[in-house]
Amino acid sequence: MIVCVAVVGHQNNPLYIQSFTEADDALKLHHIVHCSLDVIDERVNNPKKSGSTLNETFLGLLYPTENYKVYGYLTNTKVKFIVVTTDLDVRDADVRNFFRKFHVAYVDAVSNPFHVPGKKITSRTFAERVSTIVKSFGLSSAG
Amino acid sequence: MDPASTPLGKLLLDEITPVVMVLSTPLVEEACLKNGLSLVEMLSPFCVFNNIDVPVRTASDQPYRIQKFKLRLFYASDIRHPNLEVAKERLKQVITRAGEKDDLYSEPPQTSNLLSSSESEIQPSWFEFFNKELVRTMSFSDHEAFDHPVACLLVVSSKDEQPINRFVDLFNTNKLPSLLNDGAMDPKILKHYLLVHDYQDSDQEKAAKILTDMRSTFGLHDCQLLCINSSDHEMVERQDNPWAPYKSGDSPSQRLGCFLNVDDYNEIKDLLQDLSSKHIIPYMEQKIRALNQEVSATRKGFRNQIKNLWWRKGKEDVADSPAGPMYTFSSIESQIRVLGDYAFMLRDYELALSNYRLISTDYKLDKAWKRYAGIQEMMGLTFFMLDQSRKEAEYCMENAFNTYLKIGSSGQQNATRCGLWWVEMLKARDQHKDAAVVYFRICDEEPLHSAVMLEQASYCYLLSKPPMLRKFGFHLVLSGDQYKKSDQIKHAIRTYRTAVSVFEGTTWGHIKDHVHFHIGEWYAILGMYELAVKHMLEVLACTHQSKTMQELFLKDFLETVQKTGKTFEVLKLQLPKLNISSLKVAFEDHRTYASPVAASVRECLWRSLEEDMIPSLPTARTNWLELQSKLVSKYRESNVCVVGEAVKVDIEFKNPLQIPISISSVSLLCDLSAISDELNSDALSSTVGPQNDDGSSNLTTNRDMSSENFSFSSSEVDFSLGGGETTLVQLMVTPKVEGILQISGVRWKLSGSVVGLHKFDSNMKKITKGRRKAKPPCDNLKFIVIKSLPKLEGSIHSLPEKAYAGDLRHLMLALRNPSEFTVQNLKMKISHPRFLNIGSHGNLKTEFPSCLEKKMASEQSGVHANSNNLSQTVFLFPKETLIQGEMPLLWPLWLRAAVPGHISLYISVYYEMGDISSVMRYRTLRMHYNLQVLPSLDVSFQVSPCPSRLQEFLVRMDVINRTSSESFHVHQLSAVGHQWEISLLQPVEAIFPSESLMAGQALTCFFRLKSCRKSLTSTDKVSTLSPLLGSDVSLRPEGSNEPLFDISCSPLADFHLCERLHQKMSHQGDPNAVDFILISQPLKDNITPGIADPPHLFSHHACHCSTSSTSPISWLVDGPRTLFHDFSTSLREINLKMVIYNSSEAVASICINTFDSTSTSGHLSEGTADLSTYPSGDQTGWHDASVVNNIKVTSDVHVGAQVGKSLSLESVPPFIWSGASSTRVQLEPMSATEIPLQICVFSPGIYDLSNYVLQWSLLSSDDSGNQEGKSQHSGTCQGYPYYLSVLQSA
Repeated sequence: MIVCVAVVGHQNNPLYIQSFTEADDALKLHHIVHCSLDVIDERVNNPKKSGSTLNETFLGLLYPTENYKVYGYLTNTKVKFIVVTTDLDVRDADVRNFFRKFHVAYVDAVSNPFHVPGKKITSRTFAERVSTIVKSFGLSSAG
Repeated sequence: MDPASTPLGKLLLDEITPVVMVLSTPLVEEACLKNGLSLVEMLSPFCVFNNIDVPVRTASDQPYRIQKFKLRLFYASDIRHPNLEVAKERLKQVITRAGEKDDLYSEPPQTSNLLSSSESEIQPSWFEFFNKELVRTMSFSDHEAFDHPVACLLVVSSKDEQPINRFVDLFNTNKLPSLLNDGAMDPKILKHYLLVHDYQDSDQEKAAKILTDMRSTFGLHDCQLLCINSSDHEMVERQDNPWAPYKSGDSPSQRLGCFLNVDDYNEIKDLLQDLSSKHIIPYMEQKIRALNQEVSATRKGFRNQIKNLWWRKGKEDVADSPAGPMYTFSSIESQIRVLGDYAFMLRDYELALSNYRLISTDYKLDKAWKRYAGIQEMMGLTFFMLDQSRKEAEYCMENAFNTYLKIGSSGQQNATRCGLWWVEMLKARDQHKDAAVVYFRICDEEPLHSAVMLEQASYCYLLSKPPMLRKFGFHLVLSGDQYKKSDQIKHAIRTYRTAVSVFEGTTWGHIKDHVHFHIGEWYAILGMYELAVKHMLEVLACTHQSKTMQELFLKDFLETVQKTGKTFEVLKLQLPKLNISSLKVAFEDHRTYASPVAASVRECLWRSLEEDMIPSLPTARTNWLELQSKLVSKYRESNVCVVGEAVKVDIEFKNPLQIPISISSVSLLCDLSAISDELNSDALSSTVGPQNDDGSSNLTTNRDMSSENFSFSSSEVDFSLGGGETTLVQLMVTPKVEGILQISGVRWKLSGSVVGLHKFDSNMKKITKGRRKAKPPCDNLKFIVIKSLPKLEGSIHSLPEKAYAGDLRHLMLALRNPSEFTVQNLKMKISHPRFLNIGSHGNLKTEFPSCLEKKMASEQSGVHANSNNLSQTVFLFPKETLIQGEMPLLWPLWLRAAVPGHISLYISVYYEMGDISSVMRYRTLRMHYNLQVLPSLDVSFQVSPCPSRLQEFLVRMDVINRTSSESFHVHQLSAVGHQWEISLLQPVEAIFPSESLMAGQALTCFFRLKSCRKSLTSTDKVSTLSPLLGSDVSLRPEGSNEPLFDISCSPLADFHLCERLHQKMSHQGDPNAVDFILISQPLKDNITPGIADPPHLFSHHACHCSTSSTSPISWLVDGPRTLFHDFSTSLREINLKMVIYNSSEAVASICINTFDSTSTSGHLSEGTADLSTYPSGDQTGWHDASVVNNIKVTSDVHVGAQVGKSLSLESVPPFIWSGASSTRVQLEPMSATEIPLQICVFSPGIYDLSNYVLQWSLLSSDDSGNQEGKSQHSGTCQGYPYYLSVLQSA
């Protein structure tokens, strides 16, 4: 199950962060997302491979904490998507697919002329879409 | 890099060294205690040898030298596994003590500083100590051999009785540590006998004697004498006491070793050096050889290995106990371990490693996990010391760590130690990130340990390249939480404070709030409320938090503030938010405002209104006194305000939270420097010199906010803001003395306990003239306060907010001057003269509307419209008007709601000070009123020429009552201008059966309008502007005797002129246009009783109603109507006369074409065809012409019927036009001419003489072309029907 998705701007400022748990763990998830940025920075600055993976937007598993797995995705505009999930065996392909859908939703959200670039995404449509994607992820990974 | 020089290397060389067990008698201790030291403490400083230089040989006879060496001395009673609880307590004390040293008041470090400083500066120094202590808690474990005593030092005092027996007693088994007793280690260890002699007790002879005894008993080399306390009663002062670092506790270090002089010092040193170099090292070397031989014999070689393997296999069913099988010292496994550890301690790492490897598999097969882990640990360390195979070293460490963890709680401590070593290993290789992970793994359930480990982990993240600041912050926060759990609040605060710098400047609000809030909370626990408040302030404006969190934050904050017991002044308090861009300053210098609404009107509106009323600025300035010019030159950029008159500041407060907050005592922060005295002294300076000094000292600044402040008073406002609410607050400050007033900020009290301050930005734009109203916050908030001046207060009585269009009212302007000074030279100007007109003082008392009623001619002289006060000009009050004291000046005003809509009325009153000496010479009073005008009666007029008479018109008036509820009496209709006469076509009763016009009702009635104007004269033009005489027609029923209103009377006439002016915009002046005024009154019944409603009068003005139709030409055929003729004799010629009138302002050329018509309708169509072929191509064809001629719908029926009738009658023989069939005339403007016409009639009958066409064209210059489509250049008019009856005479 995905417990948290986040969009982080290119200056590492949170643009959108949404948890999908009932528990009051927003702070914890904020911390996890915030820390993942370190890993993303590291990945981006020291790419292990070049060539084919150069244009790869999917950053893979960022770091496994005790109970969570954190995946990252970096868009061309250096906006980062971070997903925190409790599933301990997730296929990369699923996560990739999730991020692709999420990216589309994000692009639609920021294409809104009323969205101020670099400011928090407040679009309700975006939130709805994201929660749909999150729900569908749970289904696909379960099945 | 040399592994030995790394921190881990140093640590290992320090910690993994041979242990010497010390056994001493109480008398020895007693002698040592004179120096404040125990025996071990006394000896310890000399156990570290930095340059011992002992030659050693390895097992394979390779010679090498040991340079550095260290012995660890322990009492036998201490050689056991330390008590965990005690150890924990000690660790806790270490931490607590370290926490107390922290300076919580200092500024927390910034990340940038942290990054630039080295590791040792960043980390608290006690970490190292803590780690060492933590490692020590795991010493003397039986699964490893390096803590096992290598030698035993037996110490007896010379004072002891039977010292030889004492020595034997000391090594009594029941006193020995369990390690030796339970067979974990070999009890046959190297023994060294030491006799301690205290000089203070007796002389050396006895000691020497005992020593010889000892030597004979225990052997020559193993016995030694140590003489101490040789300094005789005098204290030995040492600069750096060697014992100080070894002595914990609080005894003064100067006391330590006070009886030990240089000889003792050297003796101890020599003793220990001798012990290590001549006994311990050779002993170990020897032991290594012996063990190595044994191991080689039993375990080395192919045969032995096979044997061993087979033997181990047989033991597979060994129980899987965590400790594994018990190995005694004599077992080969233990011996290998001892061999390895001894080799390690003698720096023969190759040998150590080979033995560790050998034993590692055995332990693994035996499932002796703890021992296995211990071996792996040592292997890792050996790899590290050999500086080879990093990967393997790490693998070993990880393996050891995991194995320790695997065996459960008993291995936890060992795992921690192993982890710490592992971490050090990684750090030594700059793998800080990995080190941090290991630190994280070391954390156990013990919160205090976890806290320290997490904190160390965080520093590892900071030190990693590149630094991982976010993880640094996160681990600090985690660590802080753990510290808090274990009640180490100071440490918690320290970690959180360090973390603050990581999150500073980011937008991660949740995290930031959490950190700040907890720091605040913890400071509050410690009672450091100021700091607590400081941090809690950061979280106050937490819009992103949930409502409950906001409530919690605010509650805690307020509680903390209360605990401090004082009110805080906080600059830039976040709650509530101040909208600086909403800041608006309203003050009155020479411009005063009657109402706040007036003050909010844009300055440019007022300025354009007052343009020609106030004196221009330069002249005004020269007129001012020297005093003022001096002031102005000094503070030209400042604004001026007057003593006793409030400066008002509007500012918006916004509550960013979802919970309500209460704000009280909102007031302005002001400085008022009283300069009145200084000015006086300046003025006097020419005459009296010395007073200057006094004067300048009088320049005082009052910053006091209290109400008893004499120099100014400021208003205080209390309000509460609901969640997310915004309130605009008006604050006032009233200066009471002359000087310079500076508004510097706002101050408010949040929930009665915290005072928030907000300073307005001081970078202010300079105002070019200093005459503008300060609008944006960057404008100057500095005011020159000048002496109090009279200020007029003005209001208009009974000005309605709503009125129906056309409503005419009598209003009263009241001007009051509360001050004792007089004002004079009043002028007034009104922005919309169409709506508001100034009456004259004479009709102040008059009754309305009766004053408008038509009087006898003799009385009419009274109030004629004065065209001078018409529109844009300034109204001057009579020169003698002075306003002073209680009596207000009343002046009548007339209001007429001209057009529906919202209208803003601006009135500006200019007045000059009676007191010439005042700084400001004039002021203006600005009044502003909003008026909503509702539609009432829609009146439209249509004027069409009367076909039967020249210069007469039919007027159709359409009136629609557009109101929703009002009913009106239509009172009278007046045509303005003396050349017009208007009369009713029908009696009034026929038009108004109900006498009134109900809401929504429409009405149409007709009037006859007659132009009395003769031919065009130049005076006519003038007369249109002359007093508005006109003719009126009453629309009241016959019976009512209500008088008509005089439209030439003051307000009506004035308003009419305004209307004329206004409506002229759409209709170009047409000399033939007529103006109508419809006067109506609301039905009295509708007015609610009880409220004294002033009498209303409605006037509707329709100006420039054009009397001319499309053609400027009008004509009339005149002649006999009935004739008798005897057709039997001859045909009859009839002379007719056509009068043509040119009503245009241009010369018209008119061509009259007659054509003989056939009596059939076919001819008419023929005529049409003829007409359509006219080269002019004018649209005004036959049909059109007839339609245009009969524009008025009303008359259409009339004429149409006649035409129809005439057509039906045309069965009689036709007549023919005789005379010219086409006549062309030129007609001067506004003139008439007569053209004779003649027809021949052949038989009796009724003839319609309409078969002629008038073609006209205006021969004027271009300007006629500019006129709108209403009047055309040329056109064709079909003739009017003219019926002629010719009868056969008898």
